[in-house]
Amino acid sequence: MTPLPVSVYITAGVVSIIFALILIYLSGLTTQPKVQTRLSQRKRKPPSTLSSEEELGKVIFQEIGNVVDSEEEGKRLSKRLSQILNQEVEKRVSMSTEQLTKKYELIIKEKERNEEIALQKYRKISAEKKNTEAVIRSIAEGLVVIDKHGKIIMMNPAAEKLLEASTKEKIGKPLLENLSETQLVSLVKGTPEGKEKEIELVSASDDTKKVVRASTAIIENENGQTVGMVSVLTDITKQKELDRMKSNFIASVSHELRTPLVAIEKAISLLLNKSTGPLNETQQQFLSIADRNLKRLSTLINDLLDLSKLEAGKMRMQFELSHIDKVIDESLESFRGWANTKSIKIEKNISSGLPQVEIDPQRIAQVLNNLIGNAIKFTPSGGTVTVEANVTKDKREIEVSVKDTGVGIAKEDLPKIFDKFYQGSERSPTDITGTGLGLSIAKEIVNLHGGRIWAESEKGEGAKFTFTIPLKRQRHGG
Amino acid sequence: MEKEIKILLVDDEADFLQPMAFWFQSKGYSTVTATSGEEAIQKVKEENPDIIFLDLNIPGMDGIQTLKKIREFNKNLPAIIVSAYIDPIKMKEAEPYHISGVFYKGRTLEEGLALLESVLRRHKKLQKEE
Repeated sequence: MTPLPVSVYITAGVVSIIFALILIYLSGLTTQPKVQTRLSQRKRKPPSTLSSEEELGKVIFQEIGNVVDSEEEGKRLSKRLSQILNQEVEKRVSMSTEQLTKKYELIIKEKERNEEIALQKYRKISAEKKNTEAVIRSIAEGLVVIDKHGKIIMMNPAAEKLLEASTKEKIGKPLLENLSETQLVSLVKGTPEGKEKEIELVSASDDTKKVVRASTAIIENENGQTVGMVSVLTDITKQKELDRMKSNFIASVSHELRTPLVAIEKAISLLLNKSTGPLNETQQQFLSIADRNLKRLSTLINDLLDLSKLEAGKMRMQFELSHIDKVIDESLESFRGWANTKSIKIEKNISSGLPQVEIDPQRIAQVLNNLIGNAIKFTPSGGTVTVEANVTKDKREIEVSVKDTGVGIAKEDLPKIFDKFYQGSERSPTDITGTGLGLSIAKEIVNLHGGRIWAESEKGEGAKFTFTIPLKRQRHGG
Repeated sequence: MEKEIKILLVDDEADFLQPMAFWFQSKGYSTVTATSGEEAIQKVKEENPDIIFLDLNIPGMDGIQTLKKIREFNKNLPAIIVSAYIDPIKMKEAEPYHISGVFYKGRTLEEGLALLESVLRRHKKLQKEE
């Protein structure tokens, strides 16, 4: 290989320097602000009348002059180089410009598309928000949203009306500010989740009382932290008034119906027990009919009142620890006379040492009286009524049953016998017919004790009624 | 001969008072009646009865209020509360004013008599002990 002449090395060095200069120059051109900075820098220098191309040629000529001896050769080389460079620069610049333009166009398009999507999303969310607000506004129930500091975030018109406050006044303020009703504290404080509360409000404008039921729920964020509370307020003033009227009605009917009955009953009793003087047989007979039917009417009224009280949840049970066998004995004792007149044998089979249970003895006696009374009523002369009581195998309940050898109940009637006013098709014409309410009442009373009641029977083969009382009473909310 | 025992019967229902009074009279008791709380208080003062049958549900001053007033000047008069129906709440209210028994109007005349006699016996025993 022949060694390259020195001039070639020199030329290569000069070219690489010039390339570096060109690149610096180009980088200045691609970023406008920089160019401007440079221009501003140049402005400080004496103004140059040369074009950038001429300036470049001058720089190249100077640099080549440093390494090439012949001026002619230098001029020729630098001119040629200038030309090549200019061509190359123009080509590159136009290429970069084109690329940049394309790139910027893409970015702008992308940005515009994103903006359009964001706008659409915003419009959609805003419409949804309006819808939700419209729904909240139209809800008949009052709605109050409170943040974790007890300040109102929003309330709907129904809530404004109920609380006699306007949203403008209330938003961002503690619920109780400017509200005289101290009961409202309960809306914010000490309301366990999902609990309902009744709040009595006294209207500021006219002294009327309002009863509002507030169901409050805690609002939690995704991490399960409490961020506030939402309360739904319902005006239950009318409902309360109706409840009150109903219980007043029951109480007054109870008194008004019984008052004349007891007066008639006492008057007839005086005649019948001959305190007023002797009676002839016919007088005695008709007074007995009056007395019997009076008792029937009295029972019907008592049953109706008991049932309506039970259904309205107004019957208060007086629970006390009692010996159920004693209650059974007392009930059986009261029926002995009647059983004897019908020649019905009463058998008692009660396990010894039955544990004491929490019952309302009067109400359990009512159940027993009903079951034993029915058993005697539907058992023909010479039959047997058996009362049994024992602790169930699982030792959770006391089971009491009353069995008779009477007419029995048809299988298809069994599911209906605890219904109101249901009376068996087999009735003894000589016995006072019942009210058809006794078993319904018995069922309600047993249920209130947490027990069960059922019947087993085949037509013509007697009937067996059983009820249970839990050994440990379950208290449902007091 | 023992002094005739005097019963004060208080009830706004004359139709209930009359047969009750007749019944007790037929059993050898003497009876006085009152149809309001005010009248009852006056009769306790004037007639000095041995026992009172007091209806809880009388208009105006009710049975409990009446008994409270009576207790202000007479602590020993045995009182039997009379009621048309069982109301445990009312009964609790009456407790502080010393009641000797409760007679439900639906009970028979005989049961009323038995209650009267047992209360009188108990009261007599207590007085002897004092």
